[in-house]
Amino acid sequence: MLRLMLVVVCVMVTLAPAVARAQDAEALRRELDALKRQQEQYQKAIEALSQRLQRLEAQPAPTVAQPAPAAPLAQSPSNPTSQMTPLSPLDLARPRQPFALYQQRGAGQLLFDVGVTGDFVGSLTQRNVEKASAGTFSGRENRFFPREVELSLFGQIDPYARADVRIEAGEEAPGAGTGVTLAEATITLLALPYGTQAKLGQMRNRFGWSNVIHEHDLPWIDRPDVYRVFFGEEGLAEKGLEVTWVPDFLPFYLEILGGVFNGDNETAFGFGRLRAPLATGRVVAFFELTDTMGLQVATSVANGVTPDRLKSTLLGYDLKYKYRPDGWLHPLLTLSTEGIYSMREETTKDRFGWYGWAEVQPLRQWAFGARYDSTQYPAMAGYQWAIEPYVTFFPSEFLRFRAAYKHTERTHRDGFDANGGSGRVVDELLFQATFILGAHPAHRF
Amino acid sequence: MRRFSIVIMIALALVSLLVPGAQAARKLKVVATIPDLKSLTEAVGGDLVEVESLTRGTQNFHEAEVRPSMMLKLRRADAVVENGLGLDAWADVAIEASNNPSIIRGGRGRIEISRNVEVLEVPTTRVDRSMGDVHPQGNPHFSLDPGLAPTITQNIVDGLARVAPENRAAFEQNRKAFLTRLEQEMAKWTKTMEPVKGAKVVVFHPVYIYFLTRFGLVQAAALEDRPGIPPSPQHLVNVIREMKEEKIKAILVEPWNDVKLANRVAEEAGAKAYVMASAVGAVKGADNYLAAIDYNITTLAKALR
Repeated sequence: MLRLMLVVVCVMVTLAPAVARAQDAEALRRELDALKRQQEQYQKAIEALSQRLQRLEAQPAPTVAQPAPAAPLAQSPSNPTSQMTPLSPLDLARPRQPFALYQQRGAGQLLFDVGVTGDFVGSLTQRNVEKASAGTFSGRENRFFPREVELSLFGQIDPYARADVRIEAGEEAPGAGTGVTLAEATITLLALPYGTQAKLGQMRNRFGWSNVIHEHDLPWIDRPDVYRVFFGEEGLAEKGLEVTWVPDFLPFYLEILGGVFNGDNETAFGFGRLRAPLATGRVVAFFELTDTMGLQVATSVANGVTPDRLKSTLLGYDLKYKYRPDGWLHPLLTLSTEGIYSMREETTKDRFGWYGWAEVQPLRQWAFGARYDSTQYPAMAGYQWAIEPYVTFFPSEFLRFRAAYKHTERTHRDGFDANGGSGRVVDELLFQATFILGAHPAHRF
Repeated sequence: MRRFSIVIMIALALVSLLVPGAQAARKLKVVATIPDLKSLTEAVGGDLVEVESLTRGTQNFHEAEVRPSMMLKLRRADAVVENGLGLDAWADVAIEASNNPSIIRGGRGRIEISRNVEVLEVPTTRVDRSMGDVHPQGNPHFSLDPGLAPTITQNIVDGLARVAPENRAAFEQNRKAFLTRLEQEMAKWTKTMEPVKGAKVVVFHPVYIYFLTRFGLVQAAALEDRPGIPPSPQHLVNVIREMKEEKIKAILVEPWNDVKLANRVAEEAGAKAYVMASAVGAVKGADNYLAAIDYNITTLAKALR
């Protein structure tokens, strides 16, 4: 046995250097190959540069414009040498990097996108509806007004996050000055692990598919009644944090969302403190029925408290179907429905509201549609229903005109008849003109 | 003893998972924004990659609908290959919503193929939307110019090698084989197009400028007076007059564009409209990169003879 072991050891000692040499040779060969590849790449780069140089030399010399006289160094805030001279208070107040970013770059080389959208709305209705301020745009009946002029700034902050800021101005009441508000300001953390993403700041909540859409991008002139009744005219917009998770192991798309917010929305919650926060959740599934048809099914929940510390829970569902024939630039048919079921401690009965919508776009520039709304009131008896057919004309992708007729009927006068007017039956002609200037991100399904 | 062997087997299984060979067996999942890039990535990646496209060749890439199913593909992707120059700007929305940090801007799996491409039709004056859906960085429809395939495939190789450096040599080898085949085809195509060199054609949307320039053809006019905006009747009258005067025989149209209108204009001008392979998969028989170019060459050679 001992003899055998000695033989094995001797063989190993003899073979070890040979194996090491073979490994060295292999490593050297690999390095040599890598060097050869590198040399080939350099050669190609040199050839490409030589060709480019030849082409440039062949072109006539461009006329050189007389350079503008250089500004004195001390007055150039971005010049590093100016740091050598002491700065006056005026110099300190002058914008410098990164605030003077645009000055440092050519046109189109901003590090973020800027866009402006304008949304103008007109409303014509009966006199008694105007008196009672019971129209779709309460207090602005029989008026033409800028509903939302929005300045959007968005882009990636660094490799890990992006920011979106939207500043809005619009008329809220006749005669009042146009108020400017911060509509949205968010940071989205893009580089989180395990298919997660977090968004924090002030945002439109992902409750239903239409709540997250800004007024000017909605496929109708007004937000559906169910959102207006359960969340107020502008829908649900809150300050807080949302986290999403997209699993990669399912055969279809699924997004799961959870959020914590202040709960400032006065119509549904209103406590406004993180001691009793508004918690939201949403699950979205998408089924690609065919190459031309898609169906999105989702459910949402929002649970918060009112200023009186009473619980308020809203459950929502939404479905959206689109048919876009192969090669078409727009969908031919869009069908959708959303509904909200409201459970509030302060009322004895739960409430429900929903809408159904259909739109046909046979031509690139024309779309025709109708929406049917039916909703109970969250804190009082009765309900209202409405039908709203409309037509949309798109002269281009960036300009849109829309006209609609809306007929609303309410079962109760209480809360809607005021100042000698009535809001029980409302007939309205609504108009909308919308433009997009500059950058505007594409929309999701 | 039996328990001990089970433990050993489990340990061996775990170790085998950590061995690089086992990892290398997994194919790289790549998503291309348009089918032309899917085809080129397949040519470069060979058996080492599994490529999906977010769009089909019959679609207008400027206005693709951002479907959640795109986000699922992107969620699973190791790399995304995009055209750039504003053609597939919508992909940003899908990529950001896919919750996949490797493919966001700045991620190692983000591959833009317009790098080092000599872009045509770069506006030299101030541009605004009154000119239509104009691309400030230049015409983005360069992917089906076979002369640019070496640059595009080099960008793809570099991008894939960032994600899987151990496979760089294989990618380079595949690229070389593809370019050799392309060179052979190119010689054939150049010969086919030789008799019609200098001929003028009218296009619907400026999709073919790189391709036409490569083979010495001239784009005399476009049916769209401003890109992306339906043509005005007055402009069409002018185009018809020009076609008659210049004896232009062909209008090139994409399958997603208004083929009926192109046919009407062609009829008025005594010419013919041809539905081209504006992308891989746009027409039957254009199932891959080489087949799509071959289809366009054959169609044009017949049309202009």
